Amino acid sequence: MERKYTILAILLIVLALGLVILPKKNELKETDPKVLLSEAVQKSRYLTVDQVTHRIIENDPTLMLIDLRKADQYKTFALPGSLNIPPDSLLSKTNMELFSQPGKDKVLYGNADLTAEKAWLLCSRYALKRIYIMKGGMNEWFTTIVSEKPVSGTPSTADLDLVSFRKAARMFLIGTGETASTSAAVTVKEKVQVIRKAPKAAAGGGC
Amino acid sequence: MKKIKNDGSYYLNPYLGGVILGTFLFLAFYISGRGLGASGAVKNSVAATVNVIAPGHVANSAYYSQFAGGDKQPMSNWLVFEVLGVLAGAFFSGIIFNRLKFKVEHSPKITSRRRLVFALAGGLIFGFGSQLARGCTSGAALSGMAVLSFGGYITMIAIFGTAFVAAWIFRKNWI
Amino acid sequence: MIGSIISSGMVSPAWDNLFAVILGMGFGFALEASGFSSSRKIIGTFFGYDFVVVKVFFTAAIVASLGLLYFSYLGLVDFSTLYIQPTFLTSAIVGGIIMGIGFAMGGFCPGTSLCATAVGRIDGLVFFGGMFIGVFLFSESFPIFENMYYSGSQGAKMINTVFGISPELFTFFLVLAAIGMFVGAGRIQKNIKKIEY
Repeated sequence: MERKYTILAILLIVLALGLVILPKKNELKETDPKVLLSEAVQKSRYLTVDQVTHRIIENDPTLMLIDLRKADQYKTFALPGSLNIPPDSLLSKTNMELFSQPGKDKVLYGNADLTAEKAWLLCSRYALKRIYIMKGGMNEWFTTIVSEKPVSGTPSTADLDLVSFRKAARMFLIGTGETASTSAAVTVKEKVQVIRKAPKAAAGGGC
Repeated sequence: MKKIKNDGSYYLNPYLGGVILGTFLFLAFYISGRGLGASGAVKNSVAATVNVIAPGHVANSAYYSQFAGGDKQPMSNWLVFEVLGVLAGAFFSGIIFNRLKFKVEHSPKITSRRRLVFALAGGLIFGFGSQLARGCTSGAALSGMAVLSFGGYITMIAIFGTAFVAAWIFRKNWI
Repeated sequence: MIGSIISSGMVSPAWDNLFAVILGMGFGFALEASGFSSSRKIIGTFFGYDFVVVKVFFTAAIVASLGLLYFSYLGLVDFSTLYIQPTFLTSAIVGGIIMGIGFAMGGFCPGTSLCATAVGRIDGLVFFGGMFIGVFLFSESFPIFENMYYSGSQGAKMINTVFGISPELFTFFLVLAAIGMFVGAGRIQKNIKKIEY
């Protein structure tokens, strides 16, 4: 009788000790390099400047623009509703919380693609979801939307639609339908509301 | 280890009982995300009864209005269903272990009447305390201990610590 | 499946009440089968002739804790979806003291009185009825106790943070303490006169 209980007691202690000495797991989820590679070669992470502009004008609530340029550049001109996150503070705790917000498409952009690509890779490695890159960055945005690119050849209907859309967008964002000079420093910066991830609702009262 | 008593009933080994209880407690957390309880069902029943008799009173009361009145359904509550299960489970156990019998269990030194008066008073006091502490031995102490809640441990220590002293005061009722 | 299953949305919340009945049945069965339907057996803990309460109570708490911690380690349970009893220090202590007195007088706690009722113990039924009055009295006098009810709030605090150790280490110490208690209880029980009940 006594022996049976001794064995049970030892079993319990071993089970509890097991918990203590089990190696602590890395709290942060990391994407498997192979999965990361297959994600990195896909083009689906890119959004064109037209797509992004469209969503800005529509006031898409799922859109979250993240401006990776320097603060002074951001001050001079920024897309409406964008957040300025310098690359060096990309992985700070608050920003990670920001990135892990569910139901938001996080669109990264810098002056060109390079910074955004690097930031995308880092975010994806931390298993953050719905991270996109605005293809071409702010330079591309300016050349496409602000200083309109001439459409070569005989324009198709789709091309014409695009041209008129860009014109409308210019109207909307900069206030002039004409091809503006790059000095058009317009900031329609809105106060961006940061929605912190609400703690998951636990089940109601106990006894 | 079956210690069969004179009337043919017997109990499970307490450690085996504890493992079964712990397993169900664990399942309650795993499935429903909450612990087991009992006094919460009483609370909801009282609130529901008062709500039927005096709905206006429920709406004005800072306590009742937390779980009754308006479109809240105090009787369609997890704990109410769980308590119905407790009754059924205990009944099955009573059949299996041969304990089904109407009787008042009391020390041979006291009368049934005295035992019932003390049971009523004890229930009243326990019910009162369980509301203040937000749960009873099962809901606050046991379920709280399972998820390492500080409040659960404090409640457990307070209940058992006091009961050790109080049991000595009321020892004539028991031994 | 990551627990709790209901909050993960894998099972419709409508099933929750069915699970409640099944879980309750297991709870009631375990309590009754261990002898918690007998007030004299329960109260034996306080006089040293039967330590069934201590044995069952701590075994259950340890089993559930270990299970939850292991499942959490394996990533099967998300602790943030579990209901952790919030800590209100004053009301927990005062309420606990009041419950302790009621426990010693009535010989039951709410769950065990239900079990006793189910197997036909009239004292259990009376205790259960008394609880309704107690809850009613508390609800009616709530304005008096409101301050105490909400004082000393510390949120859903875990006990291991009080000692500044990990939950795993705390559970390990709990297991050691419980085994110590079980051994001690066995020694005491041997030396105390048996009481037939």
